[in-house]
Amino acid sequence: MIPNTATAPTAKASSVVSPPRKRRRPTGKRTSAVLLILLALVMLAPFVWTGLSVTKPTNVAFANPPVVSGYTPTLEAFRNLWETTYFARYLGNTAIVALISTVVALLIGIPAAYALSRFPGWVSAVLLLLALIFRSLPRFSVVLPMYEISRSLGIYDTNFALAAALVAINQPFTIWLLRNFFADIPKELDEAAMIDGCTRVSLLWRIMIPLMRPGILTAGVFVFLFAFQEYLTALVLTDTTSKTVPVFITTQLGQTLPMLQQAGAAAMLLTLPVIGIAFVAQKYLVAGLSDGSVKG
Amino acid sequence: MRRREFWMLIGPSVLVMFGLLVVPLIRTVQWSFQQVSYGTPGTFVGLSNYTQALTDPRFGRAVFFTVFLTLVVTAIMLVVGYLVAIGVNNLTRLRPYILGAMLVAYVLPGVVGAVSFSWLFDQNFGGVLNLLIERLTGQSFLWFTDTWPNRVMVVAHTVWHLLPFAVLMILAGVQGVPNELREAARIDGANSWKMHVYVIIPTMRGIIGFVCLITIMDVLRTFDSLIPLSPQADAIGNESIMFYVFDTAFRDGSQQLGLGSAVNVLSIILILICLFPFIRDLLKEAKAKA
Repeated sequence: MIPNTATAPTAKASSVVSPPRKRRRPTGKRTSAVLLILLALVMLAPFVWTGLSVTKPTNVAFANPPVVSGYTPTLEAFRNLWETTYFARYLGNTAIVALISTVVALLIGIPAAYALSRFPGWVSAVLLLLALIFRSLPRFSVVLPMYEISRSLGIYDTNFALAAALVAINQPFTIWLLRNFFADIPKELDEAAMIDGCTRVSLLWRIMIPLMRPGILTAGVFVFLFAFQEYLTALVLTDTTSKTVPVFITTQLGQTLPMLQQAGAAAMLLTLPVIGIAFVAQKYLVAGLSDGSVKG
Repeated sequence: MRRREFWMLIGPSVLVMFGLLVVPLIRTVQWSFQQVSYGTPGTFVGLSNYTQALTDPRFGRAVFFTVFLTLVVTAIMLVVGYLVAIGVNNLTRLRPYILGAMLVAYVLPGVVGAVSFSWLFDQNFGGVLNLLIERLTGQSFLWFTDTWPNRVMVVAHTVWHLLPFAVLMILAGVQGVPNELREAARIDGANSWKMHVYVIIPTMRGIIGFVCLITIMDVLRTFDSLIPLSPQADAIGNESIMFYVFDTAFRDGSQQLGLGSAVNVLSIILILICLFPFIRDLLKEAKAKA
């Protein structure tokens, strides 16, 4: 600011007094800015490249060396995907499972997190500790038994079984994140409301939930995104009827080129809503990363 | 809060976690002592699954590869993540765009990211990166069938996928370093190197530790990405522990559920050891409050 508003003579004087520093700083900054722009492009490259591959005509889509111009972009692969596979069903499964598991995870997670943030003592500490341990377990150690259990209950390959599994798998994360948000709300508020005759349930419903909106949105976005892209659990617990898009994508690999292009188109259709959500909920995502998971 | 209210509020969540996490986990521990396949009652075989796992050279390779991947990725993540966070912190106008690009890579579904990444390297599918590397080095690499090139590609993918997390976390940490502290250090004559080493990094030790822990946990559990990136993982020795479990205990024809469960139990023990410092801190905190 100051150099800009300075009069010509002073500016000259200062450039005489300390020329190297003045010159070096901006170049250093510029190099780092250029490097960061390059990095941003690298981060986006795989996604952009896939986007290009699926909008090429099939005969040049995977040509080597790659064809970058001289073709007419086409949405043929998407139409193909829609018409020759059960993609619509898989996308429906993915969305329904993600939605249901998010709603249920929040319904049972919010009261639990509230209780954990308000009830002192070793019971809460032990429960939170167990949640932390369960959050870091290898997936297969719970998912393989779930496979057997779901078969014996006759609910294998249903959206219900997958949604239930995802609620449980994401529950430790949900209650940790929500508990940290609840812990920021002063307990005096509870006491004041209780003195005014509020019961616990109406206190939670009328006062806490409105106050907790950012926290609930953050948890909701995370759990939804986790469920929407879950691969391993869906791979083990589904077969044909309730197959999800990530599983579908991998079954298309190693097949014919048109099928590969369909996989790419499916990947785009799975990713676009995710990116949309990420941009709308950017604030909450970052808050969840830096606020929710670090503390406590 | 009264005890009754506490259990009423937390009840549903605890029931779900008990039924769908604790019960399956107990099953895994049981299976690990049995000769068993799906849908049949197993027979108790003592520790033989464990000895079989620990003497299986294939499992040894999987452990070596997983630990290698974890160490290399964590080291790169911390160094690059820190440098990028510092760089982004100095930006003004460009910042939302760089962070936006990071966010896209971060939320990209795991399978999608891995498939896209594999296409960049695959010469059968016109992989543009493969072509560039060939032109630049004059050598061609077998990214999918040769052990070391494949490892390089898997490391690159894992870093690409996890870097945004490290950057966003470390950035939040850097911004949390009080300005007074920097001013004081500057007045005491710290140059920018000393500022980072003696002021900024020590202040955000907690966050760096957390990024480290989460990265280690995530990489130890690598599975999804290997399906597109390393289709012949077993043959070239680039199988992760989770991939080994999947292959022995689930994939068609291989129903060695006992063996897979024993490996699961072994990895749980490994994870608990990594988690130990965090568990200790939490318990201390709880004791202090009680």
